[in-house]
Amino acid sequence: MKKTKIKSRISWAIAIILAVAGLIIAIVPFIFMILNSFKDKFEMLTNGIFALPEEWSLANYKTVLEANFPRYFLNSVVVLVISLTILLFIAACASYPLSRMKFKGNGFIYSVIVACMAIPVHITLIPIFRMSQAMHVYDTIWALIGPYVAIGVPISVFILTSFMKSIPKEIEEAAEIDGCSRFKMFFKIMLPMAKPGLSTLAIYNGVTMWNEYIFAYTLTQSADSRTLPLAVWDFRGQYSMDIPMIMAVLTLTALPMIILFIFAQDKLIKGMTAGAVKG
Amino acid sequence: MKKRWMKLMSLSVAVVMTMSLAACGSSSGDDSSQDSSGSSEDKTITYWNIGTEGADKAALEYAVDAFNENTDSGYQVEMVAIQNDNYKERLVVAMSSGECPDMYTSWSGGPMNEYIDSGFAQPVDDLYEEYGLNDIFMEAATAQASYNGHIYAVPTYNVSLAGIFYNTEIFDEYGLEVPTTLSELEAVCDTLVENGITPFALANAPKWTGSMFYQCLVARYAGLEPFQAAVDGSGSFEDECFQWAGEKIQEWVQKGYFPEGVNSLDEDAGQAKQLMYQETAAMMLTGSWYTGTFSTDSPEFYEKIDWFSFPAVDGSDADTSIQIGTIGDQFVSFNCEGEKLDAAFECASYYASDEAQQVMVDNGKIPPTKNAESLVTDPISKKVLEAANGASSTQLWWDQYLAPEVAQVHLDTCQELFGLTMTPEEADAQLQAAMEEYNADK
Amino acid sequence: MKKNKNSLAVRRQREVNKVAAVFLAPVILVLVVYIFYPIVNTFQISTLDWNGISADSTFIGLDNWIELLHDKAFWTAFLNNIKVMLLSILIQIPLGLAMATFVEFAGKKSTIFKILWFIPQLMSSVAVGFLFTYALATNGGIISSISQLLGGGLVDLLGNPDTALYTVIGVIAWQFTPFYMVYCVASYTNISEDVYEASLVDGATKGQYFWKIALPLLKPSLKSAAILSMVGSLKYFDLIYVMTGGGPGTSTELMATYMYKESFANFNMGYGSAVAGGMFILITLISLITMRILNGKED
Repeated sequence: MKKTKIKSRISWAIAIILAVAGLIIAIVPFIFMILNSFKDKFEMLTNGIFALPEEWSLANYKTVLEANFPRYFLNSVVVLVISLTILLFIAACASYPLSRMKFKGNGFIYSVIVACMAIPVHITLIPIFRMSQAMHVYDTIWALIGPYVAIGVPISVFILTSFMKSIPKEIEEAAEIDGCSRFKMFFKIMLPMAKPGLSTLAIYNGVTMWNEYIFAYTLTQSADSRTLPLAVWDFRGQYSMDIPMIMAVLTLTALPMIILFIFAQDKLIKGMTAGAVKG
Repeated sequence: MKKRWMKLMSLSVAVVMTMSLAACGSSSGDDSSQDSSGSSEDKTITYWNIGTEGADKAALEYAVDAFNENTDSGYQVEMVAIQNDNYKERLVVAMSSGECPDMYTSWSGGPMNEYIDSGFAQPVDDLYEEYGLNDIFMEAATAQASYNGHIYAVPTYNVSLAGIFYNTEIFDEYGLEVPTTLSELEAVCDTLVENGITPFALANAPKWTGSMFYQCLVARYAGLEPFQAAVDGSGSFEDECFQWAGEKIQEWVQKGYFPEGVNSLDEDAGQAKQLMYQETAAMMLTGSWYTGTFSTDSPEFYEKIDWFSFPAVDGSDADTSIQIGTIGDQFVSFNCEGEKLDAAFECASYYASDEAQQVMVDNGKIPPTKNAESLVTDPISKKVLEAANGASSTQLWWDQYLAPEVAQVHLDTCQELFGLTMTPEEADAQLQAAMEEYNADK
Repeated sequence: MKKNKNSLAVRRQREVNKVAAVFLAPVILVLVVYIFYPIVNTFQISTLDWNGISADSTFIGLDNWIELLHDKAFWTAFLNNIKVMLLSILIQIPLGLAMATFVEFAGKKSTIFKILWFIPQLMSSVAVGFLFTYALATNGGIISSISQLLGGGLVDLLGNPDTALYTVIGVIAWQFTPFYMVYCVASYTNISEDVYEASLVDGATKGQYFWKIALPLLKPSLKSAAILSMVGSLKYFDLIYVMTGGGPGTSTELMATYMYKESFANFNMGYGSAVAGGMFILITLISLITMRILNGKED
């Protein structure tokens, strides 16, 4: 008994050391980014990158926020919320019959959807560009929603279907005996049970959409309809040589997601555990 | 179940492919339906350029504002400024979707020729003549705006040559003189290396920066004929002069003339000039637009800087007045006809006006005009202009001049020369192969 | 009687079909418009000699495809993709699993680790690319600074063709490992609390629980994770595009960056489309083979 205790202490110690090492690797680039974002344009060149700023100046942040940044931010939020909601809903809808119903063509449809994961999205640029013009949504944030949903569909269906397959059939069968309709069953049972899968997907797709730039770059043009990742490009063009300014932009771009994650992760985990307990 | 699943998956791929192959015979033609924006009802001229900020914006916007205010053509120009980084890709996407703007700027050379061949630029010889632009712009500028004997574009705002900026304080400290020959340049470099100073600041991650060394070495060693001959197929990139230039670069790399990790330094992130500002490097071979960069970044630093043209190669009889660079920088092409073209050209002609030239000079640019000499006051810009005016000929940057796919190979192989990961023979052979393939396809 | 039963089954099946169709319709619509149509279009364009902008294009049948088979640059890029794929799977998934296991065993106290570990995943590839361009700079970057502190010289990771690809793989791992952590954390929650407690009651150590009980239960999730990682690495684009542009030389060129260059920069839209088509086929093939291997093991 004692021996195992010592052994477990040692392994915990090793685990914690490794965990801390991982922590350092994960955050050093961030410290680098934040530290330098406060510096003056020449300070970084002359004083070296790890020196503390001579003065914790907010001037860079002020410049960024006074430019078009808030608009970019708002656009990103709108696109993200709408696309993510649509995506998760339709992916859950599709995964339900794919995981739970026997019908002709089930395997085929699933394979086709999953095979779409293999598509290099960049080649869809030109057809989608033309389409967005035909639909008169070019240069608006609405042009981005369709492609963003489509990019997320294959992976989401892939994960959700396998997730729903792992939900025990008994619950559903019981509900069916109670005379529950398929639609009711989906909303009352499957959707809540799929929460852990949906949360993971919300993170994955949310981050992807928040950071997507090739479509945003191609499908929008005026400053009023651009999203955050383009802010990085635009500022880089404008202040190409002012590294601290770029660092301030990068920090501000990443910040909303980080804050959101810190506050939401508790809920996310709860959602995940709730699903697990029921399962 | 699993096996069926997989069978179906392969089947689905097969279906997609057959669908496409079946469809391709029928509708291949209409993928590239061309622009229809020339409709006469529309009185707006769309104009794409890279004037998003600073000097570029001021210089490019001037003509648009002047035109919109003064014209009686009934047209108005709407300028759309696009980030320089992906401008070319952006233009390709627009053109391929039939949404090519009515006017747009480009760096001329290979890509401009593609636009012309694809019908996205109209010849403007008559209008050029009518507005007397021949007399205003330098001949070299008009030459860069031409293709197959016709003028296809209007030069805009800058003369930019490859040349060497150097820190006069460092030169004074070690008693160095401005070199006039390559051996003198090498002596300067050796002194600098001995004193722990990097001779050349260079950030070669984007590849075109290091390519300037190659271009200058070839031009000073053998003039422009071998390059021209290699391009039109009568010569070859395996000619001795290219080999020599490659060897020279590798010799310099080994002697420590360039910063460590030169191929990973990012020009766009300012990592080359950073070395200049830290005064750990003494010279920088780059485009003369850097006068503007240095002077806006730090006027005090700019005081320490001077410029000289790439020195002669000892024993070579190549014409040392030859320059590598661009006379005009951005060139406006026209994708419209009739009245609209007249109006668009009227707008572009404002770049030739005295006021526009003054705006360019005020923004640290050198207008590509015959009159520029009387306007430019900055001492370094004056030197650059002198070199441009004295040049027997000016070769456009290779990476702009060559067809894009060949340019890409040149940039890749040249970067490998700097990395010592490819021998000059291999690099030249690869470039020659790419050139031959391109010429064969043409 | 028998007939009656059959017709009931048929009726039920019909109803199921209807319901399934309703549930599947939105996804299918989205895919047809934004994915299938563009793919068909891509395969069509791949049979053309087209610079991407001209009104004229020539039908050249399979010429682009034949050229693709002999294109050394493409196969080098493919090989690079395979390296990225293998190393991504071997680095990201075990690390992600280890992190998730740590979080799982350490309980609530480890929340701070979880949050900080996850930060890299929250940045855009563009931002990560820019950040690491500065952070890995030979002169004044993080690694070089540390090496100099330890008495070493400057370290040039991205400029050296031998190390550039591995450096990029490292950065990719830095960015994406956290995703697999969250993925594994979610999978852990699928194992019911009872199993864990029962095993502890039986006197199993945490190590034994992990190897003997949790790992087998996590296997299906890990398989999907591997496939996700695989497909993702095979079409990887953003970070390379921003950080190295495929260089030095062509040492970090991937299929996707090659395709993008050919299509949009080199005026070879037809050939670029063949590259895209080739990617599509290769990725699908590799996925099929991998699935067969993974499933074979299971049986």
